[in-house]
Amino acid sequence: MTAYGIDRTPRPAAPFASRLWSGGLRAAQFSLLWWVLADGAVDSWPVAVPVVGLATLASLRLLPPVACSLWGIARFVPFFLWRSLAGGADVARRALHPRLPLSPRMYLYPWRLPPGLPRVFMANLISLLPGTLSTKVGTDGLLVHMLDGRKDFQGELEAVEQKVAALFGVSFFDNPQETVK
Amino acid sequence: MTPADGLTALLLLAGGVFFFAGTVGLLRFPDVYTRLHALTKADNVGLGLMVAGLAVQAESWTVAGKLVLIWLLVLLAGASVAHLVAAAARRRGMAPWRR
Repeated sequence: MTAYGIDRTPRPAAPFASRLWSGGLRAAQFSLLWWVLADGAVDSWPVAVPVVGLATLASLRLLPPVACSLWGIARFVPFFLWRSLAGGADVARRALHPRLPLSPRMYLYPWRLPPGLPRVFMANLISLLPGTLSTKVGTDGLLVHMLDGRKDFQGELEAVEQKVAALFGVSFFDNPQETVK
Repeated sequence: MTPADGLTALLLLAGGVFFFAGTVGLLRFPDVYTRLHALTKADNVGLGLMVAGLAVQAESWTVAGKLVLIWLLVLLAGASVAHLVAAAARRRGMAPWRR
């Protein structure tokens, strides 16, 4: 078993075209980051060019190309902003309510996402969405602590998982025992 | 006061309300898990609103970009640390509080 379901065995290198595309995209992102951090100083390019190059190489070595489209990100951002605002408002209401309306419970959500980055991303994501906190990234499921166990979180988590799958361009692997404890 | 200043004041105040509620939750909630909920979610929204309020005043795009970058880093750190604390609490056998 590997920590957080991240597969660390050597894998065949991604096709050259996909590495080139993802390298270009990441170089553009690092350049943008440099521009922001250097306050747009144009005379910093003798440092910026090698640094962006090295960062891109290191990034490709550490994280193989991820099928994450700009269109997918553009669709994900409004969803995240709105739902995390709802999450903050929900927990703020419960904290300030005189009777402290909480009825927590633990819930094992069986994975449909493939192991790796999508699972880690979803685990971090749900901690920012209303009423859910990831407690363990298991191989068979995500252990979720819920603020209000009376609500139906299965449907909501399925919807979030669908969004994450769309963001990473992955499909759900076939899980023969898709049963909820 | 320009409309931009008014918007900034409104967003900063709203952000403050979320930070306040998050802190109240940290003090009032019964166990480590519920407190983590209050910290991560309320502070994320509180900081997001403050960053939005300050970005309105930014003199350049790079300053606004830095503010957003700070928010993203805090989001990542907040969510990851909340997960690690919750996982450690569970490994030590801390049962979630039940009504």
